[in-house]
Parts: sequence; structure tokens; C-alpha cells
Amino acid sequence: MAVDTIDQPAKPAASQDSRFQRYRVRTGMFAWMAHRLSGVALVAYLVVHVWGLRALTDRASFNELIAGYHAPIFKIGEFLLLAAVVYHALNGLRIVLIDFLGWSPNQKRLFWSLGAVAAVLIGVGGYPTIYSLVEYFFLAA
Amino acid sequence: MTLNVEIKRYNPEKDDAPHWESYEVPADPLDSALALLLHVKWHIDGTLSLRKSCAHGVCGSDAMQINGENKLACSVLVQDLVDNDGATVKFAPLPAAPVIKDLVIDQSRFFEKYREVKPWLINDNPAPEKERKQSPAEHEIIEEATKCIMCGACTHACPSTWASPDYLGPAAMLKAYRYTFDTRDDGEGERLDTVDSENGLWKCYTIFNCNEACPKDIDITRWLSALKRRSAVTA
Repeated sequence: MAVDTIDQPAKPAASQDSRFQRYRVRTGMFAWMAHRLSGVALVAYLVVHVWGLRALTDRASFNELIAGYHAPIFKIGEFLLLAAVVYHALNGLRIVLIDFLGWSPNQKRLFWSLGAVAAVLIGVGGYPTIYSLVEYFFLAA
Repeated sequence: MTLNVEIKRYNPEKDDAPHWESYEVPADPLDSALALLLHVKWHIDGTLSLRKSCAHGVCGSDAMQINGENKLACSVLVQDLVDNDGATVKFAPLPAAPVIKDLVIDQSRFFEKYREVKPWLINDNPAPEKERKQSPAEHEIIEEATKCIMCGACTHACPSTWASPDYLGPAAMLKAYRYTFDTRDDGEGERLDTVDSENGLWKCYTIFNCNEACPKDIDITRWLSALKRRSAVTA
């Protein structure tokens, strides 16, 4: 005769189900969260971008819209857009190398080396934007 | 040194929700984290519940969240967690699993996923007189994956598991790799049907929390990637 030696608890077990858990963030999880955030940001940007194109119907309204894009807030946005695209592309490359070529043992080195490449690309590519912002805020007399 | 040990306690007969309690515990830097818990249980509060058996990193019973990361309590030393007197070490049950009491989680969901990938040799050919042979080179392919002790640290560290409780998770799929890539096994088709699914391989976003958590230092992500490639080629 089988004897059930495990008493059922008075109450069901406490659920810990939640997609958000407090957990130490290391390289891999940081790379993934930044990838998700930049991805969502790029989709949001795409909506704004396409919405802006509706002004293409006539020359006057298009010029008016483009003139608005010279405001400093859009310069900052331009820089963030570049940063998001560069990071998302290079980390995407990292994931491809891990999944397709089995580069998993080098994932941290990959993150930091591609991160360095990203920093250079963002710095060089974003230089005109940053320069125009410095010019706007500090050099314009 | 004396440490401030904080433990997430939960007694279903008394508490409505888990809560933190602190204990002052004398410790040596070379003690295991498990020793801190056993000091609490044996000298301060005998009602503390935890799972442990061999205490030497073989049975895989005492996986839990220690200072915000999943670890095997018996396999981590105090000196690798904190270095100053009075520092805090926090113990909580593995995240995203139902808590039965204190640090003891309900593992049924974890082992259901394990059984789903058919973690046994599938081979309908009659067994030879002595054994099914495998060369050292053939064994090398699965050697690292055979070191898994099923402690659950990886699966409960995985954000995909947190978001989708039905996701098979790294531990179960590592077993799928271990048998699919075993040269004596013929069950590739049935096993790939299970892992090449909505709750299988494609929810692995190479976050590497499983690798960081594994007390046996298994490169789980690497073997899941190999399984992804095999699955993509044969699908």
C-alpha cells in the first residue's frame, strides 16, 4: 500500500510569477535590455517618421516641417536615433555570431569590442549634430 | 567576521505574503553560503525551511537566489560574496517558481518541462550483446552537457521563463541537446518537435543569465544555439 508522506500545505504555494524579477544585471542581460529598448524606440521613431512624410504632398508644408526639425530637441533626437541604430545593428551582429557561429564563449569580449566600435561610430557620425548643438547653446552670440 | 544574513521567509500557515527577516551570523570567509543558512536553522530559528542534501555541489538541491543572483548555496564561498565584517548576504527562493515555505520552491513545473523533452535514450534497434558503443570524440560533443545536476538555477534565472512560465527553459532544452547530439540516440525527430515550438528554442534571446547562474559552468547558451541550428536545418 502506498503511503502519501507529503502533507498538503494549508494554503497553495505563494506565487512568484511575474515578468519583472529583481535580478543582478550582468553583461548579457544588459545587452539584451538595451537591445529591446533601442528596438522599441526605433519602432516608435518609425511611426513619427512616416507621419512626417505626410507633409510631402506640397512644397510649402514640407519646407515648414523640415524647418521645425532644426530645433535643438530634434538635434538631440537625431543623435539618440544614430546611437539606437548603431547599437541595435552591432548587438544584432553579436547575436548572429553567437547563434549562427557558436561564438557564445566570447560573448562578453564581443559585447565590449562591438561596444567600442559603436562608440567610435556614434562619436564620428554624431559629431556634426553635437557640434551644431554646442554652436547653438554656447557659441551663438 | 559577523554577517547580517537576510532571508526571505514565508510560512503558508501564518503569513499572507513572503517577508524579509535578518539574523546575525558568525562566519569564516571560507564558509559556504549554505553554512550561513544552517547556522540560522541550527542555532537561531529551527523553523527555517530549505532544501539541501549532499552539500558538495552534486545533488543540486540548494539552488536559490543569493545576493540577487541564482547560485548553489553549497558551492559559493562567503569570501566570494562579501569581504567586510557586518556585510549583508541575502537569501531568497529561486524566482518565478511557487514558494512552498521559506526557501523551498515547488519544482513540479520544472520537472514537467524536463519530462517533455524525453530525457532518455530513444533507440529502437535491438541492443548489441554488450553495449551501444560511443567513441571518446563522439562523447566529447555532449560531455559538458552531461554535467548538468538539474538544480534549476538556470531556468529560474531566465527572463524568458519569467515572462512565459510555460517556456521550456534552459535546463530542459540542455537535456534535449544532450540526447539529440548523443550518437547512440535516434529520437531527434520527436525531440525537435518539442523544442522547435512556441515555448521552445525561439524564446531564447541569448541573454546569458543561464550561463552566469550555472554552478557547473556549463555554456548552456552555446549548446542551445547548436540545437537551434540543428532544428533550423532539419525542419
